[in-house]
Amino acid sequence: MGNKQTIFTDEQLDAYQDCTFFTRKEILRLHGRYHELAPHLVPMDYTNEPDVTIPLALIVSMPELNENPFRNRIVESFSEDGAGNLSFNDFVDMFSVLSETAPRELKAIYAFKIYDFNVDNFLCKEDLEKTLNKLTREELSPEEVTLVCEKAIEEADLDGDSKLSFADFENMITRAPDFLSTFHIRI
Amino acid sequence: MNCFSDCSTTISLVTKQTLELWRGTMKEVGGKFGTGVLSYFKFLKWLLMFNIFSFLVNFGFITIPQLIYHPTPDIPAGVSFKGLEILTGAGYFSHTVMYYGGYSNKTQGTGGRSEYNMQLAYFFTVAAYMVLCGAALIYSMASSFRKKYVLADSGLGGAWQLLCSWDFSVTNEKAVRQRKNNLRIQLKESLSEKVQVALLPLTERLKHYGVFLGTWLLSTGMALGCGTSVYFLCQYDTWEAATLLLPFVVSLINLVVPLFYSLFKKIEHYSNPRMQVYAIIVRNVILKMSILGILCSYWMKDVANTFSCWESIVGQALYRLVIMDFLFIMLGSFFGEFLSNVIGTKCIQSLGVPEFDVARNVLDLIYAQTLAWIGIYFSPLLPVIQIIKFFILFYLKKVSLTQNCQPPRRAGRAAQMQTIFIAILFFPSFLGALSMVAYTVWTLPPSDKCGPFRGLNTTFSAIQIWMDDLNRVDAFQWTVWIYQHVIRSEIFYFLVSLIILVFIYIFRQITQGRQLLITLLRQQIVNVSSGELSGPTCLVHQSWCVRSGCVYVMMLLKCRSNIFS
Repeated sequence: MGNKQTIFTDEQLDAYQDCTFFTRKEILRLHGRYHELAPHLVPMDYTNEPDVTIPLALIVSMPELNENPFRNRIVESFSEDGAGNLSFNDFVDMFSVLSETAPRELKAIYAFKIYDFNVDNFLCKEDLEKTLNKLTREELSPEEVTLVCEKAIEEADLDGDSKLSFADFENMITRAPDFLSTFHIRI
Repeated sequence: MNCFSDCSTTISLVTKQTLELWRGTMKEVGGKFGTGVLSYFKFLKWLLMFNIFSFLVNFGFITIPQLIYHPTPDIPAGVSFKGLEILTGAGYFSHTVMYYGGYSNKTQGTGGRSEYNMQLAYFFTVAAYMVLCGAALIYSMASSFRKKYVLADSGLGGAWQLLCSWDFSVTNEKAVRQRKNNLRIQLKESLSEKVQVALLPLTERLKHYGVFLGTWLLSTGMALGCGTSVYFLCQYDTWEAATLLLPFVVSLINLVVPLFYSLFKKIEHYSNPRMQVYAIIVRNVILKMSILGILCSYWMKDVANTFSCWESIVGQALYRLVIMDFLFIMLGSFFGEFLSNVIGTKCIQSLGVPEFDVARNVLDLIYAQTLAWIGIYFSPLLPVIQIIKFFILFYLKKVSLTQNCQPPRRAGRAAQMQTIFIAILFFPSFLGALSMVAYTVWTLPPSDKCGPFRGLNTTFSAIQIWMDDLNRVDAFQWTVWIYQHVIRSEIFYFLVSLIILVFIYIFRQITQGRQLLITLLRQQIVNVSSGELSGPTCLVHQSWCVRSGCVYVMMLLKCRSNIFS
């Protein structure tokens, strides 16, 4: 079945299959989706590993990400330059972490990156406020926003520095079993 | 170790490639309704795989040899195919390979290589399928428990709502807007909640307990009442015309009585909304299993003694139950979803568009699968009906869902419910079916006029005869030895049970030790951050200590904190 395709060499497909949670067929399908986002930019032949990235604006136009409140942060967290330009490797990485079979630890790492708006490795109050605004379409009053964020930090902060480190976040995730199934985008 | 992990990766890759069925539909449903509702469809697909496997195994090992050697079923004169057989399963079908009675007991083929022993084939096919099913269920229950079940309830706090509750798989614009609205409403509710008084006054609590006792007595009483009425109805089942009455009444009870149970919601006040769902689930399971239990005991006691080809009669009764259950699920979909939608939008506006009741629908699926599992021994081709039923049900429920229901308002605890559903599928459902089939195989005498085990004392004697035959051949003495000293001896099972109990005790002690360690380490983090104890050495010492027992850890830390304070 894989003999006819000329998009990837067999070694490349094996490498993708080892490094991600996808099968060969899914990787080829992902390449099809990546290509149709920018047909003039993305070559069909990836055997010599071209250095092509797709800008953020095109990626977030995908139907899977279009309505997600965190679409910009998701794409930025997986891009190498931090500005949201995804190469095919980043693209596959992104959907692999967001797939059903990725383990909880990996998902927690990236969820933390997504919610960390100012990229300082802590979820401080401003990060939580931005998260809340994205989740409620800014229809809560500023006092309510502050109250909710303070309550959240109070609950989850274990070491008392009034911001959430990755350890605090991961501790909260382990007590939320639904996280594995909600932090999941099907492609 | 390496080859085992390679093996398991290959198996999971292969299963992922074959499970591409309905990928697009499930993505669409998940995108609009979220992961909670999607879990119903994933469960349905998973059960369908069980039935497809059962069909392949039964058809390949039992039906095809029968069809090769006896291509035309010997139907007595005067019986022809009328359309009614599709509903009743009797008549023309009762002489075909659909039921136990249609299989011969002879060793097929000429002597030498091409012999096919129908008795052993029938027994081992059913046994192998049950064992594999059980293993698959235990494995998924264990892995689901490990990944998704938390023993300490963290509560639906603000941090959880903010950071963990957003469903990333929702892609439909309207659904996303609705979820944002719901989240906002929930956050406002939790902000304005008055702190609940922990201890209600004694009279209030007594009243609550009284109400609980009353509702539980009432629901158990209703279940028992339905069971007795089904039992009395069974006595009339022998009438030709009334064969459809029993399945009709059973399915009607299964449809109507749970609606009564959901009325109790208005009287009872559980402190935790999750307990409410558990209560509904337990009541429904008690009702369905008691009805099935009464039917099974009737079949095994009365039918087995009265009729000549009783296994086929039981198979036909199960066929009718399956078909009637399917018709009633369609009816239930109509009433539960379509009519509620019409009433909610046009007549009583305050009710609104209904939500998809995942718990009730999953319990219906579990009941349907129990029927199929019981029927494997009596009607080898029953999985075909089940496959068709589940296929149609998938599309029916999907259409009903998209037309009539709205996405759920509360972010539910879908993952924990998933574990409970698999546990219910294993404990009452699969084990009940297995024990019924095992009882039939072990103790009940097979009918002597039809079927592969005619003339024997019990079905299991076929194995005894085979072992006696093998005993004469020197090459197979080891199999005979295993049979006599392992499978037939009680000491072996006693020893195995004892060893398992010892292991359970050891693992439980380790778990308790680790939980204690977690509490102590949490305390440690707080202490370290406020600068009281020096961090790394304590943690290293403790992680070494967990292997030697929890009491030692406790003593060590107590000493240490005494030294430093």
